[in-house]
Formats: sequence, structure tokens, C-alpha cells
Amino acid sequence: MKHLKVDVTDLNKNFGDNHVLKGIDFKVANNEVVVLIGPSGSGKSTLLRCLNRLEVPTSGKVVIDGNDISDKKTDIDKARENIGMVFQHFNLFNNLTVGENVELAPTELGKSSKEEAAQAAKKLLKTVGLEDKYNAMPYSLSGGQKQRVAIARALAMNPDIMLFDEPTSALDPEMVGDVLAVMKDLAKNGMTMVVVTHEMGFAKEVADRVVFMADGKVMEEGSPDAIFDNPQNERTKSFLDKVINV
Amino acid sequence: MKKFFVLLSCIFSITIAGIMFSQPKVQAAEKTYTIGTDVTFPPFVYANSNNKYVGIDMELIRAIAKEEGFKADIKPIGFNAAVQSLSSGQIDGVIAGMTITDERRQKFDFSTPYYQSGIVMAVAPKSKITSLKDLKGKRVAIKTGTSGADYANSIKDRYGFKTVTFDDSDNVYNDVKNGNSAACFDDSAVLNYGVKTGLGLKIVTKPTNTGKYGFAVQKGKNQELLSKFNQGLEKLKKNGKYDQIIEKYTGSAATSSKKKENKQKDADGHTFVGLLKQNKDALLEGVWETIELTVVSIICATVFGVLIGLLGVIPNKFSQGFSTTVIYIFRGLPLLVLALFIYNGVPSLTGSKIPAFIAGIITLTLNEGAYTAAFVKGGIEAVDTGQMEAARSLGLPFGKAMRRVILPQGLKIMVPSFINQFIITLKDTSILSIIGILELTQTGKIIIARNLEGFRIWTIIAVIYLVIITLLTLLSKWVERRIKD
Ligand SMILES: Nc1ncnc2c1ncn2[C@@H]1O[C@H](COP(=O)(O)OP(=O)(O)O)[C@@H](O)[C@H]1O
Ligand SMILES: [Mg+2]
Repeated sequence: MKHLKVDVTDLNKNFGDNHVLKGIDFKVANNEVVVLIGPSGSGKSTLLRCLNRLEVPTSGKVVIDGNDISDKKTDIDKARENIGMVFQHFNLFNNLTVGENVELAPTELGKSSKEEAAQAAKKLLKTVGLEDKYNAMPYSLSGGQKQRVAIARALAMNPDIMLFDEPTSALDPEMVGDVLAVMKDLAKNGMTMVVVTHEMGFAKEVADRVVFMADGKVMEEGSPDAIFDNPQNERTKSFLDKVINV
Repeated sequence: MKKFFVLLSCIFSITIAGIMFSQPKVQAAEKTYTIGTDVTFPPFVYANSNNKYVGIDMELIRAIAKEEGFKADIKPIGFNAAVQSLSSGQIDGVIAGMTITDERRQKFDFSTPYYQSGIVMAVAPKSKITSLKDLKGKRVAIKTGTSGADYANSIKDRYGFKTVTFDDSDNVYNDVKNGNSAACFDDSAVLNYGVKTGLGLKIVTKPTNTGKYGFAVQKGKNQELLSKFNQGLEKLKKNGKYDQIIEKYTGSAATSSKKKENKQKDADGHTFVGLLKQNKDALLEGVWETIELTVVSIICATVFGVLIGLLGVIPNKFSQGFSTTVIYIFRGLPLLVLALFIYNGVPSLTGSKIPAFIAGIITLTLNEGAYTAAFVKGGIEAVDTGQMEAARSLGLPFGKAMRRVILPQGLKIMVPSFINQFIITLKDTSILSIIGILELTQTGKIIIARNLEGFRIWTIIAVIYLVIITLLTLLSKWVERRIKD
């Protein structure tokens, strides 16, 4: 296999008695776009959050870019600089302007000067189509705009990998396209991405691989064509029936 | 995050150290003794119209100090507080018309007696009560810790009356005058003096339970001071100064001039303007002390509270447990108990004194700080957890995320609580009158002890508090608006 960006081995996660992830093996190659699908509660978010240690694994190994994230001795802040994350509910910093949201991490972490960060921020905002919102406060933006700022904010740290947790689920339908367009651009430019989404169109078009999870396990994975047109697992079939037929 | 905490702790320690060192240094040349006394117990101790403490006890101790070459730092903190402070070693001696009893001898060493008195009963002028027998089923007013109180309690079952206890003599007399209580018991010298100078009560019994007044030090301690007192008293008796002092305060000349003074004061002392004029200086000093206490306490409590609050939110079980415990203890303790514990209790344990002002600041810092910590914690926890997750996901360490993202949002939530807490702190300074700090409330008590103008003086004090609170609120609102922009 090519150089692995994400290498998860036998990952288990318990919330009290609730065994949420049951021995997950999950690999992502460099430049690969993986879409994670599965019913609600199957553990997709938990898996994603284990990749940057927002959740601490109960057991198993999580290696990102050769860094053992599951090892307590690893400098997690350093590791996270290379792992961008985009949340369902955007989580823009409410006390900062759009520009400041994007510039905060690079300047606070000494990656760039104020001027450099401002320039980079404006450029990033332009690529997501929001250069005129530089001075706006988050509350004045629509959901789609917020999510595009959130993507720009994550990109400002120049990550090698981007994690998306249902980035369009909280959006009004007419906003979804703009956000997906930004993500497609990213994929085209070779970004390594793990995307949890219910947007099957996006998965078909962009994903190199689709992973289907249920009950805390990976049930089936393969190319989009293989998964969507010819699913092998019964659970996959019934899940796809439900989402595609609505 | 560490840096942030270090900074906070530095500010905190500097503030505390600043307070410690700003206390006046004791001069080495003449030894200074702190002497506790009552707020009002004429003719032994009371404040004259210039708010200077005078009376037999005051003149005696000052004359003896002069004779023997030491300095007496007089603290009019009330009889009860004085006795407690002496037991805990907060002060060096007490002179407050204190009767020498066997019970008190267990804790204190007494000087040779400087006065002999007895207990008498006083009633309102129109009262029909003439003897102890008439007290059946009635209520009798007494002052805490006095031998009058001991006497009343010792006979109340036999004569079938109930007692009600006050901290200050004037409250005792007022209670009898306005008919709430049927009678009061007090030392004959005190009541005699009061009756002669127009107190408005009459004495109906002969002195019983005669007792001797003595100057007291903690048992086994300050023996040097005790022998100085005895020597000085001896000298004063020999050179006639002692008799002069006694005559000055109990002779007919003294009482009639005081009576005239009382009448005179009555004339202009019954108006708000007159009272304000008479007590301008005392009130201003009280206001200033209250403001000082408030400002220093607000600063210390805020620093302490923010620190403890932050300890409560950092992801570490030990620090969270510590924070919760501190909040639980100091929010749970009544302020009054905490103040007395720190001022009287801690020195009994450690053997070193704490100045009342410092004890007051520590009390308010712990109590108000605990409330502050609770709402700081609450305010931070009220910020959406997604904010912290997003900041940490970018690689920001906990401290940076806290400072740049969470705290600014949390603070906005906390601002109204801060303003509220500042106002509560101001009001709570009044409780510190219990440890004898001469702030606004204690000033009011002392003025009333002298002129018995309870209603008008408390009205004035209440208005002053409202004015300060209004100013504080306006200031806070102004700051709040600036933060919001
Ligand atoms: N912080 C948490 N505490 C306790 N249980 C949680 C927590 N986060 C998720 N879970 C549980 O873990 C399971 C998987 O949740 P999640 O990973 O969010 O699923 P998905 O994203 O696939 O819908 C669910 O049963 C959920 O209730
Ligand atoms: Mg989810």
C-alpha cells in the first residue's frame, strides 16, 4: 500500500458500558478521499473524533502521518496542527470576526506574522467565495457561509488531512451545494479527506473509497460503484435502500 | 495556560502582600499595647461629641500608659468582641468596666480592682414595677457578657421572667424605654450616670452582687503590662489623679454639665441636618473605610474567585475537586461565622494576631470569592463545548483556547453576575462590624450608642449605602457597555 495518512488498528471506544467502537481497522492513503456512511449512532463521529484525539480511545492504535495519536506522550497539539476538522455545527468562534477566526491559530501558534496571516486569510476566504465577509461577525452569516469560513479556518493551518463530520447536515438545502463545491475543489487539489456525510451524490462523485459502518464496526468498504451498485452486506443494502429511496 | 495561572497568582500574592505591608509598622521605641474596650458604657467608656473615646476607663488607661511609658492603642470593638479577642490573643488587654468573676479568672489575669460597682434594676419612668417580684412573666433586657446579664440569668427562674440579649447598652435601654422589655439590669455606676444625665430610666433597686472592676490580660500572658497597670494605678491613687478622674465623671458637676450638653444636643440633634453636621467626620471616615474594604475585597475576591473557578474547569480531577471543595466550604459558611473564625479562631490556633482589616479582607475574599468562582465556572461551562473542540482541533493548547476563545465569551455571560457580586460585597462589609472594623455600620452603631438617635442615624446610613451602591452600579454598567462594544 502507498504511504498511509491514517492507520487505525483494532480501535475500541467505550462510553461507560456503551461499547461504541468495536475493533475498528481503518486506513487512509495519501491523497485519498474516504467517505464514511452508516446509520445514526453507528460510531462514525466517534471514529472521526478519535483521529484527532477529541475522543481518547479505550484501546487500539491510531497513527496519523506516522504519529501515534493514541500515545499519551505524543504532543497532541502539534499533531492537531496537521489535522483539519470541520464540524456539523460549524463552531465558529463567536467572539471573533471571520478574519480573526481564520487567523487565530496561525498567529497564536507562531506560524505566521499578523500581516502574513491576514493575507493568507483573505486568500482563503476568496477561494471559498467569502472575501467580502472578512470583517463580519459569525452571527451575521448564513449556515452555508459559516461552514465555508470553518473550512477556510481549518485550511489556514495548512493541514495534510481534513476531517469532515456531516458538514452539510445542519444546512438549508440551497446552501449545501456551495459547501460541497468547496470540498470537491479540495479533493481535486489532492487533499487527503475523511468525510462523514449522507450526501450520496458527493460520495459517488468524489470518494475514492466508501466505508460503511454499523454497530461500531466496519461492515463493508470499497469503491463507490462497488458499494452503491453492488453492496454485499445485508446491512449495507438495507441502509442504502432507506437513504436513497427517500 | 500555566503562564496565565502564574500571572493570576502573582497579582493575588502581590495584593495580599501589599495589604500586609501597608499596615502601620509598630514603633520600636515605646511598646504599644492593643487595648480592647466597649463601644459605649458611660461613664467608663463612651465617645464624646468629637467621637473621641472618653470615660473613667479611658482616662485611667491613658494616664497609666503615660506614667509607665507605654502606648495604648485603644480599640472600641464592643464588650463581647473585646473579651473574645482577648481570649484569642488578638489584643493585649481589655478595660471595659469588666467585673472580676471567678469564671473570668479562669481565662484572664486581672489587675487590682480600680472601681467597685453593683447590679441595679432600671425601668421606664412610668413603669409600676418596683421590685424583682413584679417581673413575673415579663421580659428583661440585658447586654451580652455583662455581670448584669449573669445576675439576671441567675434569678430569672426564681422570679419567672424572660431575658432578651443585646450587644450594646443603648439597645438595652431603648428596649426598656419603648416598653418592649419591662426592665434592665446593669452596673449601678453606669445606670446612675445614665439616669442623672437624662437617659430616661429610673432605678428601682439597691445595688446587689457588688463587684469589682479590673483590667484584664490573657491568663499567663502580658504580665509586664499587668504589673505596669498595677504600678500606674497605685501612683495615680497616691498623687490624687485617680480621685480627680472619678470625680470628673461621677461628681454632680460632671453629670449636670453632661445633662445640659445632652439637652443642648437634643435641640439640634433631632434633625437630619444637625445629626449630619455633628457626625460628619465620623461618617466620612466610616464611608471611606467601607469603600476601602469594598474595593480591596472586590479585587482580591475576583482574583481568587477567577482562579478557583478556572481550576474547576481545567481537565484535571484533582484541581476540579479542589475547586469544588473550596466553593462548597466558603459558600456554605455564614459570613458572620467565617469573620469570627478568622479573626478570633485562627489566632487561637496559630498564636499570631491578625489585624481586623486583614481578617475582614480575608473573610470577604474567601466568601465572595467562592461565589465568584461558582459563577465563573458556570459561565465558562455555559460556553458551547464546540467552541473548545474547534479551538483544540486547530492545535491551540488548552490555555490559549481558554484565553482567546472561551473566556471572552464566558466573561460576557458573567458580567451581570460580577456586578451583582460587587454590590453584595459592598453590603457584606457591614457584617465586618462584628470584628470591630470601624466601617459605616459600626460607625453608625457607635454614634447611636452616644446619642440614641437610632431611627435618624440608621436612615442616614441606609441612604449612604444606597448612594454608594448606585455609584457602583453605574460604574459597573458603564464598564459592561464598554466590554459589550
Ligand atoms: N460523549 C459521549 N458520551 C456518551 N456516549 C456517547 C458520546 N458520544 C457518542 N456517544 C454514543 O456513542 C454512540 C455512537 O455515536 P456517534 O459516534 O455520534 O454516532 P454517529 O456519528 O454514527 O451517529 C451513540 O450510541 C452515542 O450515544
Ligand atoms: Mg455523528
